[in-house]
Amino acid sequence: MKLLALYAVPGEGVRTVYEIDGGVEVRTALGDRVSSIVEEHPEAVWPEREAHDLYGVEFEGHDPMRPLIDHAEGRTAWQVPVRGHGSHEVAVGPIHAGVIESGHFRFHVVGERILHLDLRLFYKHRGLERAAEGTPVECGIVYAHRACAACAVSNSIAYARAGERVLGIEETREMARSRNLLLELERLYNHLHDLSAICAGVGFAAGAMAFAALKERAQRLNDELFGHRFLFGTVAVGQSVLVRVGSATREVDAITTDEATVWKEMLFNASVQDRLAGVGVLNHAAAVRLGAVGPTARASGVAIDARSDVEPALPEKASGDVAARAEVRHLELQATGLRLRELLGTDLEESRAEAGGDGDAVGIGRVESPRGETVCCLEANDGAVTRFHLRTASYRNWPALAEAAAGNILPEFPLINKSFELCYACVDR
Amino acid sequence: MYLLLRKLSRLRRDIGLRSAAPGSLAIRHVDAGSCNGCEHELGATANPYYDMSRFGLSIAASPRHADVLLVTGPVTTRMRTALVRAYESMPEPRLVAALGNCAMGCSLLGLATEEAGGVRDVLPVDLEIPGCPPTPETIAIALTSLIESRRR
Repeated sequence: MKLLALYAVPGEGVRTVYEIDGGVEVRTALGDRVSSIVEEHPEAVWPEREAHDLYGVEFEGHDPMRPLIDHAEGRTAWQVPVRGHGSHEVAVGPIHAGVIESGHFRFHVVGERILHLDLRLFYKHRGLERAAEGTPVECGIVYAHRACAACAVSNSIAYARAGERVLGIEETREMARSRNLLLELERLYNHLHDLSAICAGVGFAAGAMAFAALKERAQRLNDELFGHRFLFGTVAVGQSVLVRVGSATREVDAITTDEATVWKEMLFNASVQDRLAGVGVLNHAAAVRLGAVGPTARASGVAIDARSDVEPALPEKASGDVAARAEVRHLELQATGLRLRELLGTDLEESRAEAGGDGDAVGIGRVESPRGETVCCLEANDGAVTRFHLRTASYRNWPALAEAAAGNILPEFPLINKSFELCYACVDR
Repeated sequence: MYLLLRKLSRLRRDIGLRSAAPGSLAIRHVDAGSCNGCEHELGATANPYYDMSRFGLSIAASPRHADVLLVTGPVTTRMRTALVRAYESMPEPRLVAALGNCAMGCSLLGLATEEAGGVRDVLPVDLEIPGCPPTPETIAIALTSLIESRRR
């Protein structure tokens, strides 16, 4: 029984979405005072705090209930108390030194060693979920799409699938092909970006620039195929568009071949490898406990991937460190190259969804984004959105990042952070 | 390593960037609530295809070392204070640039209670760079033109 999402529905209660024996089951706890499920599902800590902050739901057994989104409360309310000889705090953010999204980190350290990390995100909370309420199901996709640029495709497809469940229409094979193509193109440029960031994190400028150049090529390919470098506006509820593939496979081949070359350079560079191994370890047990997803989970040996037709890419040694997370990216890039070559075999035809019976009361859409499984939950009345909830992969992995950072020295944190490469935008929403 | 460096130098030669404008601009970037698209593209201006440092553009770690405050995203109510403080920390003369449509206050999607509006609603804006997100080329051209205009 896997928890996919938990969210409050004002005036009704709290919905929990589970995966049970491969199927999806939605349960509702009525009222604004419900039992907490954090004992059985530690990954419910964040969503319960969110439901408490935004909708005033009380969770019995969730104690202390620390604020997550509510910034009005003081520091002591949201921080875990850390005391002891020589322990002090280092505050970072919300504005960071580089070109990075905004968020606040508070490190509890002794000397340079991190004892504990408190995250205070949601500086970029735009209230997108609530803003979507009242719009027609087909139009609400823009709120998922604009939540995060780097996950625009994943979030939009999760929304589109949820919307199609609500409207009672079914994705055609051609639509599925178009969406798989978009998802792999998004994975391609994101993974290249992540590898570039990891190289930059250890000061390996040549690798960082080589991967950055490959990312640029991948984004130019996006532009050539779909008319946008981040594939904006390419997903719609109930339809997919015509795409001329041209000579795209040649460029995909060139990118993945070059990626393999740069990866080899990185692999045989001892000073780079020394910095990656054993840093920021997220062990298997912690990854399972926190419900980590995507490359992060796979690097810790958890064989999960929301793509039903893909074998989860596990590294040679699932050590859960920065090296393993980098290796998963490389393996997936090569696999993505092969998948793209297949998907780009022929032009894509325009396609519209087929009628498929009554709509679901709660539409659930699932995709494997570059950062792991993203789940979109959608409820509607008379074709208008009444509740929209987007549980992104990053939302699941942030607590895992805090866990992996503990025990390392503070200067390693930027590298650990980059090896997770989580979004703030699609967490804050 | 040698092969890699050779490849990079060939890449730079192939792209054939214009000769650099004399002068420089230290940029402090503040994400006031963006979707991360503008950040990706601003980051891309440092890749070998654009290599903005050759035009005198650099990212300063602190607003105290910056000539221009480059703001992305709609300004969320939660980021407003941090943004204003960053601006106040800058030495004069200082410039503010709004990067991307959201920063320009266009087509904002969020709740009115969570968003303070575009950058113009919070700070005086000297330069606007439109796009969703603006391409690295657009960003590089706009910022280099800022160097040129400052020289006049």
